[in-house]
Amino acid sequence: MERSSLTNLRRPIDALALPVILVVLWQVLASAGWLPAFLVSPLVVLDQFVGLLRTGELLAHARESLYRSLAGFALGAVFGAGLGLLAGVSGRIARFFDPLISLTYPVPKIAILPVLIVWFGISDTSKIVVIMISCFYPCFIAALYGVRAVDPVWVWAARNMGANARQVFFKVIVPAAAPQIFTGLRVALALAFILMFSSEMIGSSNRTGLGFLILNADTAGRFDRMFAAVLAIAILGFASDRILLWIRGRLLVGQLVAEADRG
Amino acid sequence: MTRAADGVEGAASPGRLTSRLVPLLRVLARYYSILVVLLVWELIARSGWINPRLFPSLETIADELWRLIDSQVIFRHAGATLLRVVVGFTLAGVGGVLLGFLMARVPLFQRAFEPLFSFGYPIPRVALYPIFVFALGIGHASKIALIFLECLYPVAINTYYGTRAVNERYVWAARNMGASEAQVFWKVILPATLPYIFSGLRIALPIALVIAILTEMIGATEGLGYLIAFASASLSRGQVFAGVAVIALFGFVLDLLLAAVRRRLVFWEKESVSIG
Repeated sequence: MERSSLTNLRRPIDALALPVILVVLWQVLASAGWLPAFLVSPLVVLDQFVGLLRTGELLAHARESLYRSLAGFALGAVFGAGLGLLAGVSGRIARFFDPLISLTYPVPKIAILPVLIVWFGISDTSKIVVIMISCFYPCFIAALYGVRAVDPVWVWAARNMGANARQVFFKVIVPAAAPQIFTGLRVALALAFILMFSSEMIGSSNRTGLGFLILNADTAGRFDRMFAAVLAIAILGFASDRILLWIRGRLLVGQLVAEADRG
Repeated sequence: MTRAADGVEGAASPGRLTSRLVPLLRVLARYYSILVVLLVWELIARSGWINPRLFPSLETIADELWRLIDSQVIFRHAGATLLRVVVGFTLAGVGGVLLGFLMARVPLFQRAFEPLFSFGYPIPRVALYPIFVFALGIGHASKIALIFLECLYPVAINTYYGTRAVNERYVWAARNMGASEAQVFWKVILPATLPYIFSGLRIALPIALVIAILTEMIGATEGLGYLIAFASASLSRGQVFAGVAVIALFGFVLDLLLAAVRRRLVFWEKESVSIG
């Protein structure tokens, strides 16, 4: 008992050791004036971060960014995991999508952003669509693999006990593939934030979002604002990942034994 | 019926037209969906429902592509992108595998880096790009550094979990038969981890290309991302699509190369589904 509570305490301390050392080093070097001007000190960044929070500016941009990335993520996840599951159980669907997916999977989806901007304008739509397309792939592939990795014995057992196709799909295949699907969702979520940032930097003429805040601070040479916005993106990315992991833990009770020690 | 009979006969006597037609048909049957999509695209483009400037026909795109090749513009941009992707990806591959092994074998590394990777994973490091540009300039270095940083994660994490997932019995068996620690590493742990390493590399490769293209779109003076951003700003839709086609080809060929290397190195693995 005592030992386990000790190790529980040690983990966060270990986790924070390296970042804390780096930040302290950064602060010391910056205070000593040994760093170039673009590496403003952490305290200045924190000050700016709090200031931006207080004026509400940061929250307004963050809300826009979060809306885009989560809407794109949700759409990509539903289509991706849904189609992936179907492709996993139906050879015909798999044969149709397989060549298309393997041909387009390695293509950076951000490349079609200029095309989307032409089609949908510099709006939320073009950003959400590019995030959706990016998130589609990891979800599709994870779901397909997940279904294919289902132990056939389970399917046979269910059939043997009189389950119909629908029951086999919803009671055996979907739950068995769920851990894999969540791996795909996690990859997709991280992608959504990368794409959110870049789509806002590349086509951000509607002047909202954290990516725009960074771009704006960049052109103005305001490095403190830039780092504050980067910090906000980091917090959002981290928090949404934790939420996803929490949901996974709730949904997959008892299925995650092997992964118990994976953050 | 007759066609099937022809095929069998043709296979028996090579040189007949049908014997060459059968494999072709098989390829067609496998990749028909790509043709369907291209056909639908062309139909939409030619139907006139959508302004052809917004939705250029395949012919227009091919024309633009040929002009890019003919004027040799494409080679400079493609070369810059390829250099960034290959250097960044290779550095991340080597560094990630090393770090992954160290984290799995050396407690100090595990305690210092593992949380950094598992907690830092969802933080989009690409947001640091403007700072990288200030630090390293707008040329190759800033892009390569960011590609390295983004690709390091999947490779290191996969190597780490792969090493820890190695079946203990293999290690015990090898030790039992008198293998040294070095032999255990090179003959048991490394081969057993290879599939995981390649999964990490396969995740990292498209990331490398994504980061290269988008950093080029945000701020660069050459590269395929710069090319499409420039074409888009000059309202040359055909050229944008031509650039996207070249990028698609790039991603596809790099992925095939990696899959070929994987088949050579992880030869014992059963042929996985064609997507993987």
